[in-house]
Amino acid sequence: MSEAWADRLKFVWPPVLIALAFLGAWQLLVVARDIQPFLLPAPSLIAQNFFGDIALMWGTAYYTGTTALLGLVFGTFAGIVMALLAQRFGVVNNLVTPLAAGLAAVPIIALTPILNNMFSITSRTPRVLVTAIIVFFPMFVNVTRGLIQVQPVQLELMRSMNAQPRTVVRTLRVPNAIPFFFTGMKVAAPLAVIAALVAEYFGGPQEGLGSRIASSAANTAYGRAWAYVVAAIITGLVFYLIVVAVERWTTPWTGRTRSA
Amino acid sequence: MSGHEHAVSADGVWKIFNEGLPNEVTALQDVHLTVDTGEFISLIGPSGCGKSTLLRVIADLTDATRGEMKVAGVTPHEAREKQLYGMAFQQAALFDWRSVRRNVELPLELQGWDKDKRKSRAMELLEMVQLADFAEHRPWELSGGMQQRVAIARSLAVDPPLLLMDEPFGALDEMTRERMQNELLRIRQETGKSIVFVTHSIPEAVYLSDRVVVMSPRPGRITDVVPIPLGTDRDEDTRESDAFYESVTAVREALRGHVGGAGMRARVGEV
Repeated sequence: MSEAWADRLKFVWPPVLIALAFLGAWQLLVVARDIQPFLLPAPSLIAQNFFGDIALMWGTAYYTGTTALLGLVFGTFAGIVMALLAQRFGVVNNLVTPLAAGLAAVPIIALTPILNNMFSITSRTPRVLVTAIIVFFPMFVNVTRGLIQVQPVQLELMRSMNAQPRTVVRTLRVPNAIPFFFTGMKVAAPLAVIAALVAEYFGGPQEGLGSRIASSAANTAYGRAWAYVVAAIITGLVFYLIVVAVERWTTPWTGRTRSA
Repeated sequence: MSGHEHAVSADGVWKIFNEGLPNEVTALQDVHLTVDTGEFISLIGPSGCGKSTLLRVIADLTDATRGEMKVAGVTPHEAREKQLYGMAFQQAALFDWRSVRRNVELPLELQGWDKDKRKSRAMELLEMVQLADFAEHRPWELSGGMQQRVAIARSLAVDPPLLLMDEPFGALDEMTRERMQNELLRIRQETGKSIVFVTHSIPEAVYLSDRVVVMSPRPGRITDVVPIPLGTDRDEDTRESDAFYESVTAVREALRGHVGGAGMRARVGEV
């Protein structure tokens, strides 16, 4: 156990050292060149703002994180349902990628004002919707691929065992898609935080990270604006790390050499 | 037929891909073959000779274009529905998300066996392939040879009278391969299964089989059936015996006769 930990620390130290060196250089640069906060605030100023009002940071991140989580859940659910339908009706085999690429090019964030008008601007709904739409694509594409890309020999095996199509989906296609699901989730989860945050720039309740980054910057509270950016980074990282942890826990076979 | 049921009988079986199209391929031409109950038959020949196609027709993984195929007296489709055969492929095709034991249980699960019966049957089979200690391991933790033994255990799970094996040892190294052949012979002795075995290794076919069916490509057809008079008790010494070498030579000549013949014709044609 201790050896395993020592091994792990070997991987942890280098990035930590680099991050510290980077922050040190940043601080040094700002102090030495007397750079003004509206250009680039010093890490010390950001830290001061961040830890000085940690409860507010937490509350703000919690608000945006909730929007992101709701969008992530709905978008993922829709993506999985559509992927199952797509696999079931076999239309999408060659349609998935171009379709997703085309739709992914639509600036969905820009739809936020329209959605704000369609739904109540004072509610979370338009933001959750935007987040869900953005989450939908990576989930749909990856899960569909996982349902379709089954080893042909495994399909023949199932047929030789007289498995019915529904059984094939349940015992082969769905488990096969789980690693693909996590690949999608690793993209979608941090993306959900960014989408929820950016959607706040288009009006509505002001309790979120996006709103407060914008208003702090407008009020020349640059240290505070950057502190919210730090909170946003941490929120995105937490989303990502939760996905990675769940993946390691549930699908230990991914990343290994597949058995032939 | 005198009421005696063959494990497999093919009567004038043809398989033609893309029939009537410019890219028409005759994968099987007028195949006649019977496999007796308890018999071990190997199908051998160069790639494109239709040996895997023939196995796939028996398994109802593809249809015969013409002719009649029977498996234990019924159509391949019925045989598949009644699980009258078990199948093993070149790839072990194990499911990574299931333990070794639950991989072996898969066909039983599909047949609706209850949990306890499934488990005891799977353990019995893993005992037979000497992998009981690995029952709760995941497939990726096993070597290629061990994975293939799991696949064989799985193919035996529903206790089918017939085993269909499509180059099951093709991806293994020579040492492992010979060990696996001994295991397969032992399993055959213990279970009395009829076996149809596709391979492109002459010594493997000779060592395992009662009869070796020699096939030839373009169009895929049976050109010879070589009986292997090595008896039922075969072991490592058999591989060094004169009778073994004679059979290897017989199969090789049967293969070369036709392959070489076609080659000669082609060369003459070029000149």
